Amino acid sequence: MFEYSEFNIAPWGWEITVYFFLIGTAAMTFVYAAAPAVFGNVFGGVARSMEPFQKIGMLAALVLLMISGPLLIIDLGVPERFLYPILYFHWTSPLSWGALFLPLFGLCIVGFLAALWTNRPGLLKPIGILGMLLSLSMPLYTGLDLMVHQTRELWNNPTIPVLFVILSVNSGTALVSLVQLVRGQFDARTHEFLHWFLFVALGTTLALFLGELVTLMYGSEELQQAWTIINSQFAVQFWLLTFLLGILLPMLLMILTHFRPNPVLFTLAAVLAAVGAYFFRTVLIVVGQLTQIYF
Amino acid sequence: MPVGLQAPPSLGVPGKKRWAMVIDLRRCIGCMACVCADKAEYDVPLGVWRTIVKVKDTGSYPNTKRHFMPRLCNHCDNPPCVRNCPTEATYKHEEGFVLQRYERCIACRTCIAACPYNARHVLPKNRDRVQVGGVVDKCTFCHHRVAADMVPACVQTCLGRSRIFGDLNDPNSEVARLVARHSMVTLKPEKGTAPQVYYIQPDRINTQQVHSQPVSYAARADAAAFYRHNRGSQFFSGVL
Repeated sequence: MFEYSEFNIAPWGWEITVYFFLIGTAAMTFVYAAAPAVFGNVFGGVARSMEPFQKIGMLAALVLLMISGPLLIIDLGVPERFLYPILYFHWTSPLSWGALFLPLFGLCIVGFLAALWTNRPGLLKPIGILGMLLSLSMPLYTGLDLMVHQTRELWNNPTIPVLFVILSVNSGTALVSLVQLVRGQFDARTHEFLHWFLFVALGTTLALFLGELVTLMYGSEELQQAWTIINSQFAVQFWLLTFLLGILLPMLLMILTHFRPNPVLFTLAAVLAAVGAYFFRTVLIVVGQLTQIYF
Repeated sequence: MPVGLQAPPSLGVPGKKRWAMVIDLRRCIGCMACVCADKAEYDVPLGVWRTIVKVKDTGSYPNTKRHFMPRLCNHCDNPPCVRNCPTEATYKHEEGFVLQRYERCIACRTCIAACPYNARHVLPKNRDRVQVGGVVDKCTFCHHRVAADMVPACVQTCLGRSRIFGDLNDPNSEVARLVARHSMVTLKPEKGTAPQVYYIQPDRINTQQVHSQPVSYAARADAAAFYRHNRGSQFFSGVL
């Protein structure tokens, strides 16, 4: 009687996990699209392979932002107060910083597009550099938003922001390769450029995944509970969709396409990596909240 | 002072008050009068609570025991909810209260995620008698009553005088004497929140996380239903 008359609640639902995924994808899409303007001939001019992607990439980033921004706003209990984190800025809250950087990131996308359309190449590099820094801040702040919760042990570790940045590279690469494949512009230089990024990102994802595993298996009471919840209720998302389909299979495909470049196989690997990126985040976000459910 | 607070902790600061609560679990009979008083004081809607008495049954007949655990906001001296609030809607009062500015709250629920005590909830929109809705709410230690030299509603109504409220900085107050004389337990002290609700003789099942999983069939079924319902789709039972 009354034992469970009141439940602990998981305050962040699918809106937050989708937002984190979309904003990370938008951020890395911006990075790829702005890469030719920012890096130019650096590293042998490999970033120039992204030149055909510039305009469509910026448009894609803008569309993703137009979806994810309102999604975040309607997730609020009082959506009409969405500017309050800026008006009543609280510097110790990552959410305040995110609310500040999000519109600035949008402005950079619009500015970059405007510079492209009005043919002002001199503006592309400064806007691109600023936009890239803000792009980095997007997944970083979402990770920090979890990391600063000292009372949630699954979140409260410094690898979370890094992991979220890396997962954004996975999903961003998926979008770029998908768009380039559909447009028939996936040439050998594009393959070389994206392959390097995705390979590094997947390797880092695997390392961080293993790190999470070790932390969970050797963890304290709360992490032990998280481990139980993951293996009982999120086993499919964690082991199948994240580890097998989202990390191991793409890595195998990456090794294959390293020796035999194949745009279709590479794009498949990237899309699988993006699927893994979504579910990895989801499991961390939801299970991190469920661990205190019984208390 | 911990970062991100609007007032430094007043515990042990001469000339300042530090309101705190002692809950003597030897005296709690699980009558829920405190819960009712709180519901009445604030017109707390169905489905959410500012304070609750958790009840757990252990053992099997005839060796059974019923454990009571009154729970409320711990009005921490290092409150993670305050530090994480993006609008400073929740703030630290100079006398120790952790309070909420409804007019600033955007209901982003960061404070709910930050609180390890499950002490916060979202009020439904469109309430009948009270205009405040759609924002996060919590126990205020009845700040308005304390300011008028009264004790919180739950303390006022507690039948067994299990809940005792007072100024911890006043050595002659009942709470200060109890804290000095008894071995006290605070909840999740390892989280570094410096909670200011002190328990006398809580049972292990109520303070240890893993060991407080649902035991009975009914509790397990409830928990399973809750998980199904809350797996990322219909959070807050659709009150938002």
